[in-house]
Formats: sequence, C-alpha cells, structure tokens
Amino acid sequence: MSTTTSAVPVNDVSATAVRLSGIGKTFGSGADAVTALQGVDLDVSAGEFVCLLGASGCGKSTLLNLVAGLDEPTSGELVRPTGSPSFMFQESALLPWLTAGRNVELPLQLSGLSRSARRARAADLLSLVRLDGMADKRPHELSGGMRQRVALARALAAATGPDGTGGGVLLMDEPFAALDAITRDVLQGELLRVWEATGTTIIFVTHDVREAVRLAERVVLLSSRPGTVVAEWQVTERHGAGGERLHDHITSRLRQVIASHAA
Amino acid sequence: MPPETTLPGSAARSDTSAAELAGLDALDTPTVARTPWWRRAITVGLPPLVALVLSIVIWQILWAAAIWPEFKLPAPITVWQAVESRLVTGEVLSILWTSISRAFLGFLAALVIATPLGLLVAKVKVVRRAIGPLLSGLQSLPSVAWVPAAVLWFGLTDATIYFVVLAGSIPSIANGLVSGIDQIPPILPRVGQVLGARGLTSARHILLPAALPGYLAGCKQGWAFSWRSLMAAEIIAAGPLLGVGLGAYLKQGSDLNDISMVFSAIALILVVGIGIELLVFRPIERRVLRARGLAAGV
Repeated sequence: MSTTTSAVPVNDVSATAVRLSGIGKTFGSGADAVTALQGVDLDVSAGEFVCLLGASGCGKSTLLNLVAGLDEPTSGELVRPTGSPSFMFQESALLPWLTAGRNVELPLQLSGLSRSARRARAADLLSLVRLDGMADKRPHELSGGMRQRVALARALAAATGPDGTGGGVLLMDEPFAALDAITRDVLQGELLRVWEATGTTIIFVTHDVREAVRLAERVVLLSSRPGTVVAEWQVTERHGAGGERLHDHITSRLRQVIASHAA
Repeated sequence: MPPETTLPGSAARSDTSAAELAGLDALDTPTVARTPWWRRAITVGLPPLVALVLSIVIWQILWAAAIWPEFKLPAPITVWQAVESRLVTGEVLSILWTSISRAFLGFLAALVIATPLGLLVAKVKVVRRAIGPLLSGLQSLPSVAWVPAAVLWFGLTDATIYFVVLAGSIPSIANGLVSGIDQIPPILPRVGQVLGARGLTSARHILLPAALPGYLAGCKQGWAFSWRSLMAAEIIAAGPLLGVGLGAYLKQGSDLNDISMVFSAIALILVVGIGIELLVFRPIERRVLRARGLAAGV
C-alpha cells in the first residue's frame, strides 16, 4: 500500500503531470453566460491519485473535459507535459460491434501499432484487470463490472501509449457510480491495485466522500456554480479511525458548501 | 512502495480479491440460452409454411365452390402449370433474370449514390436543412409517378427503368443512413475522440460501424422500393427495346386475358421479393444485430 505522509510533500519529489493555473470556463456570452469554473488552481504530480469531490453543478465534468482537451478553457493556463490524457466514463462506452480485445486494441490501432504488438499489449492489459481469456467476448456478453474493467484496460492502453512505458494520465468521471454496491467495492480495490501496478496518474471525479477517501492520496473539494477549489486534504491513512475522521470532516465541509447555495 | 502495513499479507489479500472478483464475474455474467438449429428451424420455418399451405387449401376450396368463373379465379394447379410450362422452356428463368438483374444493378447504383448523400445530409447542417425534408418527402412519393416523366425523357429504354428504380430506392437508403447516424449514442463519438480518432478515422472506426444497423434497415427498405418501382416501370413501360421482365410478363397476361398467367406473375414477384429478403438481408441483419447483442427477436 502506498501512503503519503504530510511530512513528505509529493510535489517536490515528482514531476508535474497536469497543472491548472487560474482556469476559468464560461459557456455562452452576454446575459446568458454561465460560468462553470473560476480560478481553478490544481497541480497533479506524475503517479498521483487525486479525487475531485463536489456536489452537482461544481463543474467536475467540465474540468475533466478541459484536462482531456475535449474543450478549451476561457481563461487561465493548462499544462499537460505528458501529452493527451485518456478518459473513462460512468458508462463503459465500449463499442458494441467490437470484442473486448478489439476495444482495448482500438487506441493502439489508432496510434499506429502493428497488429501483433497491439494484440499482445491488449492481452496484457486484460490480464491486468483480471479478464484473461475474455478477449473474444462481446460487450453484451459481459457483466457491468467486467465491462467497466474492459473500459479501464482500454483507457490504460490509451494513457500509457503504444509501448506501455509512458506514465500517462487517466481521467475518470464517476466510473463506478452506475454499479451495484458490491461490485463497486471490489472494483475500487482493483483500481488501487492497477494504479499501483502501472504508476498511472489518476484524476478521479466522484460525489461519494467514502469513495474519495478510500481511493485518493489527495482529495480536492470543489464548490458549485462557479466551480472552484475550496479545500484539499492529503489522505494519510486509508484505513482505520483516521480515515473515518477524515471522512466525517470532509462530509461536513461538503455540506457547508452545499448549504451555502441555499440562498 | 513501503511494505510496512498492519493488514494481512498483501499477497493473501490479493488472492482473496481475485477470488471475489472471479465469483462476482461468474454470478453477474449474462447467461445466453442457445437453442439447437433444428428447433429454431421448426419454430421459425413451420408457421409460415403452415400459413402458405392453408391459404392454398382455401384457394382450392374457393375455386372448387365455383363462386367466380374460371377466368377470374383459376385453380392453383393451373397457375402452377403456367409456371411449369415456362420453366421447361427456360422462359421463366430469362424473365426472372431480366428483372432481378435490373433490380440488383439499380440497387447497387442507388447504394453508390445514396451512401455519400446520406453521410452529407447527416453530418453537414446546411445540406440537411436544404434537402433533408425533400429526401423524406421523396420517400413517400410513389415511384410509379416518375414513369410518365421518365418515358418522355428517355423513351421506352432501359434508362427509363433504371431511372424509376433509382428514384424509388435512393431516398430510402439515404434516409436509413441518416437515421442510423442520428441514433448513435453521443458517448461513442466522444470515446472515439479521447481514443484519438479524428475526422475520417472517426468515420471509419466509430461513425459508420455505429450507424450500420440503421443503414442496413435503410438498405432493406431500399431494396423493397427498388423491386416495387421496377415492377411499376416494367408494367407501364413495355416496348420492343425492353426485354421481357416480370412486370412485362404480368402485363402480357392481362392483355391476353390469361388469369393463370397473371396469377403466376404475381406469385413470382412475391417469391423473388421474399426470397431476397430471406436469403440476403435477413442473414446480414441477424449477424450484425447478434454481434451487438440486439437480436432478441430476429
């Protein structure tokens, strides 16, 4: 288990994977303009696991879209030294006409990897998410949890690049929200295992405090309308009484933020 | 990673979680009951067969009751003889070949024209606004309405026939592709984008395969329209320059007051229509839908 203590600041020992400085995003213009994000500062170091936590309307998805390069910020500066990040959604979003293996191969195929190389890499990744021998199954033949693991393998294929050496950044937009509680619990453990095995940088969006505390090294709380960073916590112990206290503390801050929108 | 931890050995823990995961997978995987082919053949093939036999029996009874004179309702066997006598001489085959090859060529040409047209209408907003409504409107225009115009333009030649076939089938195929593209879940193009598919690559890897079921439905309807239009054209436009197809054969029967010839022509038109649907389109559609887990009732 990797635990970061507050005595050792992560940012000093690792390179930056994503840096947001003063990021703002406004949709529309004039009187109808909606400001989704305002003055967001966030540094994510390579290999870090960061959870973005917030209520509805905090611009979590907008923020991920900006980091993914699917959208452009209105103001501020966004630095991504590791290149284009990969994305995992709440739905598995597997292509239903391709087998599990071909789904994982697709990003490798698009980056021009040869057939045999990408097949081998896809098999490795499927084995990493414990889906050995499932490469020939179609998405509809798999359970929700299995589909989400295929999506994870595909996102890893896109994030780590053709040779699998690039650290890569993985953006996850509530990837377990649509799963049942048991599957979600098991997959959270699996995600931690895969993260430790690959050294990928993960930015994980959730509105579940327990999930955030369990998974992340650092939890970032966003306010809503416009979204901006309100507070950050380093998660020092994932298990035991400390985690419980942190969970309660973060929950009460989240409630404060939500209550402030009542007016 | 620092190994010190108060938890049970991490290797043992990893084993349990692997077992948990395998258990979950086993419990959650959807089960698919496969029926043996012969049972499927019986459940799928028997009902229409029974219906066919029944309708011939009813026909036979109606004929035997002699409610209508012989020149209005022939006996089933007379109609069969009309076909059989021409089968022996090979006339039926040449008639069928004339019509089917025309419909097939016309359909292929329609595919080549309608596919890029559908892509344009679906993806370019201005084009959609300009000709989208026209395309839907043309679909409801009976293609037989084009025959008089085509005869004036092209005379009694093959060009007339092909023009009518194209006018009938292009709107269906293009509209099928448009609705196929419109029904793509918006998440799929986004996935393509984050995986690195842009422009033409996105069309090849995401857009076209995702639109395939709608496109196929359009093709199926396009075939039906091209067959229908062809019959209309062949019945109306008959001339020495045109070979005798099924429509012309039907017209001849009518001109000769030969009801068994008319019946046999109608039966052949039906057989070809159903045959192409069953032998060509149904298997392709089944394959495509099956691969996506969509083929519950097909």
